[in-house]
Amino acid sequence: MTAQAWRTFICRACGWIYDEALGDADGGLPPGTRFEDIPDDWACPLCGVSKADFEPCEPLPVLRRTSASAAASAGHARGGRRDAGVVIVGAGRAGWQMAQSLREHDAHLPITIVTACPGNVYDKPLLSVALAKGIAPASLVRESAEQAAARLGVRLLARTQAISVSVGARALRTTRGTLRYRHLVLAHGADPIDLPNLPPALCWRINHLDAYLNFRDRLGEPGALPPQRVLIAGAGLVGCELANDLALAGYPVTLLDLCERPLSSLLTEAQSNELLAAWRDLPLTFVGGVDITGVRASGSSRTVSAQDGRQFEAEHVIAAVGLRTPSRLAQSAGLSWNNGIAVDPLTLHTDVATIHALGDCISIGGEALRFIEPIARQARQIAATIRGETSEPYVRAAPPVRVKTGSKGFTVVR
Amino acid sequence: MAAVLTDSTLEPLAGQVTPTAAIKASMLEKVRAIAVGDLAAMADAIDRQGTYPKAVLKQLGAAGALSAHLRLDGQHDYVAAIQAMAEVSRVCGATGFMVWCHDACGLYMEESGNPALMGQALRDHASGHTLGATGLSNPMKTFAGIETFLLHARKVEGGYRVNGTLPWVSNLGPDHYFGAVATVENTDSATSEASGHEIMFIVRCDAEGVELRNCPSFSAMEGTNTWAVRLTDHFIGADTLVADPARPYIGRVRAAFILLQCGMGLGVTQGAIDSMWDVERALGHVNEFLDERPDELQAELDALTERTMRLARTPFATDTEYLIDVCDTRAHAAELALRAAQSALLHHGARGYLMSSAVQRRVRESHFVAIVTPAIKHLRKEIARLSATVAQA
Repeated sequence: MTAQAWRTFICRACGWIYDEALGDADGGLPPGTRFEDIPDDWACPLCGVSKADFEPCEPLPVLRRTSASAAASAGHARGGRRDAGVVIVGAGRAGWQMAQSLREHDAHLPITIVTACPGNVYDKPLLSVALAKGIAPASLVRESAEQAAARLGVRLLARTQAISVSVGARALRTTRGTLRYRHLVLAHGADPIDLPNLPPALCWRINHLDAYLNFRDRLGEPGALPPQRVLIAGAGLVGCELANDLALAGYPVTLLDLCERPLSSLLTEAQSNELLAAWRDLPLTFVGGVDITGVRASGSSRTVSAQDGRQFEAEHVIAAVGLRTPSRLAQSAGLSWNNGIAVDPLTLHTDVATIHALGDCISIGGEALRFIEPIARQARQIAATIRGETSEPYVRAAPPVRVKTGSKGFTVVR
Repeated sequence: MAAVLTDSTLEPLAGQVTPTAAIKASMLEKVRAIAVGDLAAMADAIDRQGTYPKAVLKQLGAAGALSAHLRLDGQHDYVAAIQAMAEVSRVCGATGFMVWCHDACGLYMEESGNPALMGQALRDHASGHTLGATGLSNPMKTFAGIETFLLHARKVEGGYRVNGTLPWVSNLGPDHYFGAVATVENTDSATSEASGHEIMFIVRCDAEGVELRNCPSFSAMEGTNTWAVRLTDHFIGADTLVADPARPYIGRVRAAFILLQCGMGLGVTQGAIDSMWDVERALGHVNEFLDERPDELQAELDALTERTMRLARTPFATDTEYLIDVCDTRAHAAELALRAAQSALLHHGARGYLMSSAVQRRVRESHFVAIVTPAIKHLRKEIARLSATVAQA
């Protein structure tokens, strides 16, 4: 008998779970390492924040539906219709987390996930550090969509477009049929902004696993000839992290931004300069003050032109100019819109009692905070609302943001 | 262009070119009267004896039901056109379908910009003096990757020769005409850089090289004068050409084409709901155990009608979001018609199962709304295609 059961701790920044039983072999923690015994300089293997950013986590067991319990619950519904349950749109972190939070409390609730993507479970933050961490593209999927759906008792409609919401009829219209719901949860995230000067036919937009895998496939191995030059438009968080990761792996990278320095919205000028200094020895060139006017293809290479006449050549162009929430579903449902689906700051309620939203597609006070950490708390809040329970008000706190530029990392507390 | 200019000089009501609310209301009033009068009286004959309601179509034309969506010399009003089609479909789905066939043909003629198809020809069409139809199922499915072209055109002196057979085209007759599309075959000697293109044209049923052949029986729609059309070296000259090339043209009229069809689905649904209320007093005490009740269906229908009419204000918009909305609305109308017709049958029970009952006729009509091009599956495939982000080249 061990004196104390193994405990688990969750990273507040990215949701990665440290399990004492398993340890963190890559981080030098053998299985059985107690949380107290972890050295202070240890970092989250997923996002790089420190041990202090972890908190205890007691995952609630997922209640399994049994045929006996199903029969018992069927007895309660007298003559009424079958419960249409909860329909979730999106199978990213927010969608799966929502399913998990609902299932933790209710083994019988019908849960359906509708997603345009294949629905596999992966950690999006890893996409911008996978090369440096030596993670093979094939092992980015943490759990297949089918396994996750089976584990959580979710009916999954993958590669299915959600088209519109019929609010009165409480139905979600999709390309694979119309689904009735008791509650609808929008967790469809945000899409890369489409700019006419960065046409999708010539520019990668790396906002999900499939796009990343296609990109890596086209990119080939580092060091292969001819060298595959990468040009990244936009030196925000995603642009800088990708540039850093690709350059560390040896690909020649040009990073362009309209601003004069990288990560100008997140870092001070001094920090930007530190970052540029850290990049000095990498095959990474940052060019600021570039107003891109267009991209054109010439054979296997692309030429990016700027307003001032400068031209940049590369084999691959990545557009990392920001995200925008698609408004189709929210509009069809008549939800308030303010740079995203407007939700109440304390309850996360939308305008419609049976429709909820979380993750990258919501905005509070007109601001979208697109981070991993709030998602689990949002999912718990919404799950409580759906169960009809009152819960503590949602606390909107910007999580510490780890800038995963491996050569010079920053943790920014906003 | 001369014919177009002539049009405006012939405009009888100068200064009243835009249909006012009063004119529209009076048109719909007349359509309703025709529907519940002469049309209702022959709906069973149309369905079971295959009677073609030519006189009713002419009456509808005289009432203005077939011209509301045309500009003619004023403004088009797709809302009124869809409402009129819905009023007809509410009583008889087959006749509602023929209104759509004729409306679609009017759309082709007016948007062709071809003087020979506009002017007097279009006025005769708009008033129902002459009757037209549409044979675009095959090209619509071909553009969606579901079928291949059935009509083939060969360039000849002064036009094209067209060969091939369309399996079923509705609302036809010896003095009728319909719009069709053929793929133009590349001649061996011709430059092969153009990877083929299509032409769109009007076929007159009495023209040389046009043969109407009998179709097998259908589940419903027997009174729609539906024929197989075989074209043998049929000549297409400048006077019958709608568009060359056809693709940009079809891209322009596609939303209007699909949107108009919503009138059929909305009308069949309303007819089904009407019939459910008819038995509410007698059977309500048992019908309350059914899933799809008339009040719920009516609420859903009202919301769908509102959405349809909102889209009908801009029938020639071509942006992707609009096209998705149009396809989704059309699919919803078909799904709702299926559910409402099915539920109406359950509400009526055995009396609705009689062959003479409009309730079971409507079940078969709703099947047609769901499978006629663009069918529900076709619409969903199109929405998926329109929604997909452009693949990296």
